[in-house]
Amino acid sequence: MAETTTFGNATQILEPFRGVKRVTIEEYFTSGHRTCQGCESALVMKLMVKASGPRTIVLGSTGCMYVANTTYYTTPWVVPWMHTQLGSSGSAALGTAAGLKALMRKGKMKSEPINVIAFCGDGGGADMGLGAISATLTHKEYNSLILLYDNESYANTDIQLSGMTPYGANTTFSPPGKVKRLIHTRWKKNMAGLMAAGHPECRYVATVCASYAVEMMNKVRRALTIGGPTFIHSLDPCPKGWDYDPMLSHELGELAIETGIFPLYEVEDGQVKYYGKTKAIVEGRARKPVREYLLKQGRFAHFVEEDLDYFQAKVDEMWEKWEIPAVVPFRRLDATRAALSAK
Amino acid sequence: MAVVTPAAPAATEEDKELLISGSEAVAEALTLADLDVVTAYPIRPYDTVMQAIAKKISGGQLVAEYIVAEGEHSQFEIVKHASTVGARVFCGSSGVGWMYAMECLVVTPPLRVPMVALVGNRALDDPGAFGVEHNDALVVRDVGWMLCWIDTSQEALDTTLIAYRVAEDRRVFLPLAISADGAFLTHSQALTMVPPKSKVDRFLPRYDRGDLLLHPDNPITVAPQANEDWVIEIRRQNYEAMARAVTVIDEAYADFRRVFGRGPENPWFEEYMADDADVILVGMGTISLPIKVAIRELRAKGKKVGLVRLRWFRPFPTERLVAALSRAKAVGVIDRDYSFGSPFGSGVVANEIRAALYNAERRPPLLSFICGLGGREVTLEDVYKATDLCYAAATSGKSDPKTHWLGVRE
Amino acid sequence: MAALICEVVYRGIFQKNLAARITRGIVLSARKSGRWGIAFGRYGDSPQRNGIPAKDFAIVADTKEELEQNMARYEPKHVDVTIAVDDTLSKGVESWAWYGLQPINRLTVPDGTLLMTSLQSYDSLLQDIHKKDAPYKLALIRAKASFSGLWVYREDHTEVRILGALAKIAPSFLTLQGVGEAIRESEWGSDLKVDSAKKAYERLESRDVTMTEGNAEIPYSFEMPKWWEMREGVTIPAIPVGKPKEAGKGYVPERNPYFKKFTTRTMRPVVNFDTCVKCTLCWIQCPDSCFDVMPDGTYDANMEACCGCGVCEAVCPVENCITMVNESVFDDNASQWEMWRKDKQTYQAWMAEKIGDKNATVRSHGFRFRGQYEKELEKNFEGGGAEITAGIPGENAQHKEG
Repeated sequence: MAETTTFGNATQILEPFRGVKRVTIEEYFTSGHRTCQGCESALVMKLMVKASGPRTIVLGSTGCMYVANTTYYTTPWVVPWMHTQLGSSGSAALGTAAGLKALMRKGKMKSEPINVIAFCGDGGGADMGLGAISATLTHKEYNSLILLYDNESYANTDIQLSGMTPYGANTTFSPPGKVKRLIHTRWKKNMAGLMAAGHPECRYVATVCASYAVEMMNKVRRALTIGGPTFIHSLDPCPKGWDYDPMLSHELGELAIETGIFPLYEVEDGQVKYYGKTKAIVEGRARKPVREYLLKQGRFAHFVEEDLDYFQAKVDEMWEKWEIPAVVPFRRLDATRAALSAK
Repeated sequence: MAVVTPAAPAATEEDKELLISGSEAVAEALTLADLDVVTAYPIRPYDTVMQAIAKKISGGQLVAEYIVAEGEHSQFEIVKHASTVGARVFCGSSGVGWMYAMECLVVTPPLRVPMVALVGNRALDDPGAFGVEHNDALVVRDVGWMLCWIDTSQEALDTTLIAYRVAEDRRVFLPLAISADGAFLTHSQALTMVPPKSKVDRFLPRYDRGDLLLHPDNPITVAPQANEDWVIEIRRQNYEAMARAVTVIDEAYADFRRVFGRGPENPWFEEYMADDADVILVGMGTISLPIKVAIRELRAKGKKVGLVRLRWFRPFPTERLVAALSRAKAVGVIDRDYSFGSPFGSGVVANEIRAALYNAERRPPLLSFICGLGGREVTLEDVYKATDLCYAAATSGKSDPKTHWLGVRE
Repeated sequence: MAALICEVVYRGIFQKNLAARITRGIVLSARKSGRWGIAFGRYGDSPQRNGIPAKDFAIVADTKEELEQNMARYEPKHVDVTIAVDDTLSKGVESWAWYGLQPINRLTVPDGTLLMTSLQSYDSLLQDIHKKDAPYKLALIRAKASFSGLWVYREDHTEVRILGALAKIAPSFLTLQGVGEAIRESEWGSDLKVDSAKKAYERLESRDVTMTEGNAEIPYSFEMPKWWEMREGVTIPAIPVGKPKEAGKGYVPERNPYFKKFTTRTMRPVVNFDTCVKCTLCWIQCPDSCFDVMPDGTYDANMEACCGCGVCEAVCPVENCITMVNESVFDDNASQWEMWRKDKQTYQAWMAEKIGDKNATVRSHGFRFRGQYEKELEKNFEGGGAEITAGIPGENAQHKEG
């Protein structure tokens, strides 16, 4: 069951699931974790290894999916799993893949493609671990997937803001006050776009949302079979930090897509491909107003109309002004194109 | 661990003599040990070893994954993870580079990762300086790293082979840092005997991670988050592993002597004219050179001075060291490190030895010297001054707790 | 010399702010009569999770020395008053940070008080509360559990009702006047809240519980291994792979043997297997992998693993096929599918009773929209808005509103 990629790295053959009824029945992430009611990130873990199958090693950097997921003496993992440091998801993927490769090519270990997946939260991935992930995405000779589960704060430590926390959100580091309504006024990093644009030899970058489980799993499968290092950014509604009834996790994931705040796309060998409801938006379907998403969450309950308008305008900009809508924030090159064609 | 039963060396298995630096000697040993994964990042002076390994790889003598990391933090994390899937790994750093990796250094002992690292000892910033100080390696002295100091290129090669034998022993499974003094060892070349691979194979078994192997055939969960119900038990396990390392180190040196026909009887420290010495000076690393020269001069003048050069700092050879030192009339410890605000302001080694001697039946006066910081040359005059002060203490029989700084412009 | 030690057992995150207000309120109220005090959380619980039980403590004492004497431990070993702000905690407590099930009254001293907010009868509660080898008092504030989230607080006066009740239970430490002054001075206080505290003081119900009363179940316990029994390298075995339910059909994942979600839940899904269309959505979307696949292709929520989030109900496309029902109306954790297989009619009757009980299906588990809590409290304020529901969300849940 091995496929050889253009880099000479054998990967497993993992065909996409054709519909929800064809999804593998086995679970490789089960119970024993102590995550919140309605934890979407726990769902991401489950679907991630359901997609990858049993011949997989998972590395998890510090965060909710380490602390709440694996509390010593219990584990939910069926596949081998190991903790790595907060900023080390990139290094963990690289080191594990390199160790396996060395042993296999020297005949010290049975040769077979083993999936290596390292996950990180938004803090570990987009803040502290950015450098290591970036480095790993340049090591094309090692197959690995780095999956960033983005619940938009340091949710394990007490909901402190990260570089991925949305504009204006209430966190313990950005409490709305009587004098300052909004303490956090940074706009969220565009992680998937950053990874895709910055690493020309990374063959696959995708955004996913577990509300669309089959598509999410198929993106994981694509990432694991294309060869070389790959990156997936998953948006995970977080009932604890976002403050909503845990029952709403699935619906909030959908709303993030339908409002255009979080686009679903893959970048395979440089080709951008929108999918799911994002594709419909690109093809002309109206985006839902962001307020439908924001006002369902307690973390935005302090927003006034002005804040909602600003948020909406920023999202509109992503879709209307970006060279590749919602993917690459460079402004359109119409003037340059016109100049070039005039020559 | 399978205990290696060495056979007598065959006539064809001859060492070859090469003129190489300490760093190159380590690279020779890594080639012989069939290293699997190595990570590099530039910082003086340790990185000469990575340059030497790169040449071994591009020259085809060594087949290994050679990864240039984007910083020391990643450098150490990458090999940590490679080790958990069963790869023999090597890493290293110097000075503040070692500090940048600090988070990754402290996690390796509880994970029981038998990583071997070379620390090219270097002064910590600021001021940025290339010269030797031992503070970099010493910062991990409490967290479960085995620490040893080497003195010559030959010792660099031999100790690297021994390091894997000890670290990868299932009874130990702890990381090991070999310290080499910046410049004196990393950047000067000496004639060194390089053994044939066949001998090394008889001494050094394959790394077998056993039931700790992270692999789909051995499904385990490694390093979940633990609360107060568990942590002290995990620390207790580490304590035991370090205690077991003492036996394993003794065994490894004994086997090394049998297989290679060289190596010290006493793994823990080198004694130079210490048997009958009235005054014993103690130091680590290449500081031994000026001390040995000075001792020969002093002996010629009838002063019975000796040297104890510590090889192993963790595990600390407490009983053996106490036995060797308590014979003397005075002991002078020369630290190439500092520990500001410590008891008596002494260096790290001096205070460790003070603590080791506390319960000794015979406690000679102990003097503490700080010398050679930032790579400053340790001169014969420095050694004579230290010796004079030790003789004065030996005569009076009193310990002077004051810490003496030698070779400082005053 | 005397001290009053109180624990507040609560649902993580949902009641984090509530518990903090209560323990702070206890100390500040006692301060009004010259006492010393400290309010603190159980540090091991500190990275809280929605729904997982957690504890805060308040200790007040006559002197600083006595306060120190009671503080010199990780957490109190005995408490005079156990305050449980959600009555489903009567089934026991398995915190985020420890192993084994602790009865809710485990730390309560003999003749101490277990104070709960509940709409249940004493008898109903004592079916769940474990037997204790000493008599104690069970005191009730008649209100439903107050749940909200980290950022938006549900101002239903639960915290002041607890303080008012404590003035009745431990008048030598908390006087009603002291409680009133402390409430008025706090940033969340008001005259209306002082009145609520007084009402709770007056209306507090209490009865003695004897050693023979309560749930006779022996709670699951866990023996900690010794250091040399633990695998080195901070390593534990993985969970084995699962297996078919029976005769090669279906699938039951292997589950962690040490941590079950019995006490994490406040509600559980009740499944109508007759109307299930086997769409897989509940199974695939469950973050806790709690659905076992049955040989007939339906899905049975396994109570070992279900944390009661309700996502399954939100995604289920069939009307009333999955309904979340309050944990208090269940007596065991048995398989619903097995009950259904055994006797479909009996099961239908059982199910109809469970999902027909509006008090048991009403849901307020945190924020859904601005003004929601105020709207919920418009009616039946004294009872914590028990009659109000905001409607069940979810893209498939249109039919569930109203």
